[in-house]
Amino acid sequence: MIAFAAGLVVIVGGTAGLLLTHHSTPALRPVAAGVAALPVPTGPIVAPPQSAAAQVARPVSLTIPLIGVKTNLITLGLAAGGAMQVPAASTVAGWFTGSPRPGAVGSSIIVGHVDNKHRAGIFFRLPELKRGDDIYVKRADGTTAEFRVTEVQEYPKDHFPTDTVYGPTPDAELRLITCGGAFDPVTHHYLSNIIVYATQVR
Amino acid sequence: MLSAASALLIGMPAAAASAASSASAGTGWIRLAHLSPNTPAVDVYLYSFGNSDAKIVLHHVAYGTVSPYEAVPAGDYSVAMRSAGAAASSQPVLSTSVTVKAGHAYTVAGMGPESGLRLQVMNDQLTTPSGKSEVRVIQASLKQQTVKFTCGGQAIVPKATFASVSSYQAIPANTWTMQAIGAGSTATARFKMAAGTVHTMVVLDGADGLEIVNLEDAAGAGQPPVGAVSTGFGGTAGHGPGSPLPWLAVIGAGALIAVGGGLRLRRRGLGRQMNTGV
Repeated sequence: MIAFAAGLVVIVGGTAGLLLTHHSTPALRPVAAGVAALPVPTGPIVAPPQSAAAQVARPVSLTIPLIGVKTNLITLGLAAGGAMQVPAASTVAGWFTGSPRPGAVGSSIIVGHVDNKHRAGIFFRLPELKRGDDIYVKRADGTTAEFRVTEVQEYPKDHFPTDTVYGPTPDAELRLITCGGAFDPVTHHYLSNIIVYATQVR
Repeated sequence: MLSAASALLIGMPAAAASAASSASAGTGWIRLAHLSPNTPAVDVYLYSFGNSDAKIVLHHVAYGTVSPYEAVPAGDYSVAMRSAGAAASSQPVLSTSVTVKAGHAYTVAGMGPESGLRLQVMNDQLTTPSGKSEVRVIQASLKQQTVKFTCGGQAIVPKATFASVSSYQAIPANTWTMQAIGAGSTATARFKMAAGTVHTMVVLDGADGLEIVNLEDAAGAGQPPVGAVSTGFGGTAGHGPGSPLPWLAVIGAGALIAVGGGLRLRRRGLGRQMNTGV
């Protein structure tokens, strides 16, 4: 009798342990809570230029008040092999110089890390953004371009939609890129990219 | 955009087709232009189909004006032109319908001489081959009936007649000297044509002869990065699912113990039955 009961207890305990420590989907990273929103950057906010000849100044910093993002912008190019270069530090974001400048006609690309090996990175809270949220890019001439989020998408990395993300647009748009989705502990890579799409406001 | 949503759901690559890369579900772009040299200024109205209140009104649009693109929800629209200052309720001089598809851009322009004024709807290209720029020419000069348009000395539109729109051509990315050469006038200008950009060159009658206006229709990464972006190292990923084997072994051991105990219970029960001889 005791053996039977003991056996049942072990089964129940084992099943509980299995269920508690394993998920039907791979472990997803938690979303941070309660970072105080940042103020809007100072300085004149300007509309997109009307003429093709008007040169837009280089971007120097990025602020996303709602999710506490404030970072200088480094410049990024293409790595050997043609993939996007990424910042060496997880605490700064970078503007891809192969894309239009933020506030000029076209799709401007800014990239940042979701985390490093130990802690959250500059774009950790990107998935919290929603349609209508504001993003500010300050430029070298002291002006600021204001963008409004239109959409947040997640794509599997093995089906990254290059044309959709990097292709031409007729308006001044911004695309913020980071990693997301499940993390593969064998390859040490996230399986998805998160893209925030935003359009400059007039 | 629809194709991006499909990619997410069924894991297939998003088809680029000829649409732009807007992810704003169901948004297209439209711009309005006055390209008739001898037509006075007009008021231009854009109506969403079935709506009598104009979505956009541009006042006193004179020859040579091309508005910036307006983002509009995909759907059916109509464009009307009235004389500048005419009442919004008055009969328009011209009107036409436009169907705006998501991710596509359109130019609706008053073209031709005043006596033969028409509204032309143009589909604007929003894609470029990698490393190149796309260019087309709108010839809106009445004084120079036929214009040869060259880029770097080479004719890209050998014979552009008044009120024509050429097809797009891909040219190498560079800063080019462009010329509009008419019988009585030539215009020369240098423009940077960056990779990944789409341009419309408009040839106009200026105060002193031909003029070229360079419209940048769209821009993107001239040489897009290959593949996805590596922007994470897993520090916030939480512990992944380890092997379930240890837990399964525990459950298995428990099952063996329970079965063993259960069998002994059954044997004892049988034994009692046999002893009492029922």
